[in-house]
Amino acid sequence: MKDIYRPVEATIEDIIVESTTIKTFILRPKEVLEFKTGQFIELTLPGVGEAPFTPSSDPNIKDKIDVTIMNVGRVTSLLHGLSKNISLGIRGPYGKGYPLDEFAGKDILIVGGGVGLAPLRSLLFSLFATIDKFNKVVLRYGARTPSDIIYKNAISEWAKKKKVDIVTTVDVGDPTWKGNVGLVTTILKDLPVDLNKAVAVVCGPPIMMKFATLKLLDLGFKPRDIYLSMEKNMSCGLGKCGHCRIGRYYACKDGPVFTHEQLKDMHDIWD
Amino acid sequence: MNNTYYYIESAQLNNFFIQLKKDYKVFSPVVKDPKAKELDYYYQNLADTSPLVFNAYRAVEPLKSFFTYPYEKVTDYFALAKNITDVVEKTIVFGVKSCDIFGHKIQDFVFLEGVEVDSLYRLRRENTLFISGDCTDFKEVCHCLAWDVLPHPTEGFDLNLSPLNEGYIVEVGSKKGEELLQQHKEYFIAAKETQVAGRKAKRNNLIERLKKHLLPQNLVSKDTVQQLVRQGYDLDTWQNFMLTCVECGGCNLICDTCHCFLLADKKETHLNEKVRLWDACLYANYARVAGGANPLKTRKQRLRNRFMKKFDFFVDNLGIPACCGCGRCIEVCPGKIDIREVLKDLAKKVKVTK
Repeated sequence: MKDIYRPVEATIEDIIVESTTIKTFILRPKEVLEFKTGQFIELTLPGVGEAPFTPSSDPNIKDKIDVTIMNVGRVTSLLHGLSKNISLGIRGPYGKGYPLDEFAGKDILIVGGGVGLAPLRSLLFSLFATIDKFNKVVLRYGARTPSDIIYKNAISEWAKKKKVDIVTTVDVGDPTWKGNVGLVTTILKDLPVDLNKAVAVVCGPPIMMKFATLKLLDLGFKPRDIYLSMEKNMSCGLGKCGHCRIGRYYACKDGPVFTHEQLKDMHDIWD
Repeated sequence: MNNTYYYIESAQLNNFFIQLKKDYKVFSPVVKDPKAKELDYYYQNLADTSPLVFNAYRAVEPLKSFFTYPYEKVTDYFALAKNITDVVEKTIVFGVKSCDIFGHKIQDFVFLEGVEVDSLYRLRRENTLFISGDCTDFKEVCHCLAWDVLPHPTEGFDLNLSPLNEGYIVEVGSKKGEELLQQHKEYFIAAKETQVAGRKAKRNNLIERLKKHLLPQNLVSKDTVQQLVRQGYDLDTWQNFMLTCVECGGCNLICDTCHCFLLADKKETHLNEKVRLWDACLYANYARVAGGANPLKTRKQRLRNRFMKKFDFFVDNLGIPACCGCGRCIEVCPGKIDIREVLKDLAKKVKVTK
């Protein structure tokens, strides 16, 4: 009989410090655990609690899963105190991933904010793996300060790739910062995308997602072409516990990625 | 099979009841305070040979409490003990009513369908038989008819009892019910046509009485309720009714269609356990996410959320509103928030188009 709430054991193989508040945990599950980019997992700190995260690693790597975690709550602050070789639990993957098939042949604009780049990194890896299928990948990423930018080295590597166009910004600069200063919406201009065959993927804090979406609509993106990663407090991951309801949907099983078309007539989606 | 009727005398029903306890864990209604103005029935697993109480209307506890528990271990992990699903007992519940059965459709939908089946729930469901009964009276809060739910079961039971003279008409509602009856056939006789007609007359009589009770209340109908909550989303109704809400979650916990739960973790000696707790959307932290953002910050939003879930979400996803009119939430609320009154207030202010 299938035990749907039992997590698979996974060892912390390495921990990478991304910023003062963000770490990436490289996990090796004891059973094969395949996921599609954009799907999420429930990560259990044994005997303590669990929380939902979208893996930040390449789904084509089957034996390891990276989870990039910001220290914001009870479980995440305890996770940040852990060291290598400790066992965590993983349930999932849950939900629907990014619909890569629908992105084929298109210009893909990816708009990220803060730790929201974590799931998007997984998406980028998936896109890079079959880059011939897509026309162009455009990343617009904003962080609060230069030290809050995650995957710094990776970003500069990605920028060198063919068909890839990256611009970053910070809300507040520092003396060494020579790049853009301003909210991510300020770099959503002169986008090298063809609106007739472009999709946008947005992931970040709710307030950033709201204003990015409004900006994209303003630019002429259609609601059906804007993909949003909704942050809700998924507990079971299976559409049973009720917590992550958005209108007629559950974020855990119908999302966590929704098109703006699906959500636009619903109340209070950004709260 | 639905047309097979038997008759059982009261004394024989008691013998049957006592006999069943040898093979099953048997729950049946009991009255704790016989002097109460309106009797309350509670399910109990009576070990002795006291006679079966036939409840006039539904028990205090929701039927869901036999299938998920307010707090229970659902699995352990890493160092495995035994499979939790091995410990389910064969159970019979007497005294289930039509509203309970209707409400339970929601629980079945949540736990038996969708992306995964909850195996513990399924095992309990498979190992539990319902011996239901017609309502012979109603509480002030009862309003099943408003939701097109009749005060006697028409489906979803294994055996159903309808009191008649000094005994009961027994209707078989499932293969399991038929098997149970055949195993104990010495207690039953075939029902006469006149007895079945007698049952119909008694049922109609109660429906008429209940209609008389409900008519002056002017209750909202099943067909308009989704429109009411949708169009009434921004009305002051929620704010006004919220004022007496103390966020106890009683309405959620006692509701037979409310199903929300929270998974939590604990350590039990060397074992890690995942536990499931009933949760309530009226609790302040119900929708809170890490970092503190909360889409249901205010009591007004949370009260409205309960109605949107019942009358919008479930109408969209299952085609039925998630209310059976049992009135448990009305009885339990210390703030005297009455689901009938909330909907009526919306109906006063919203113009229904169909």
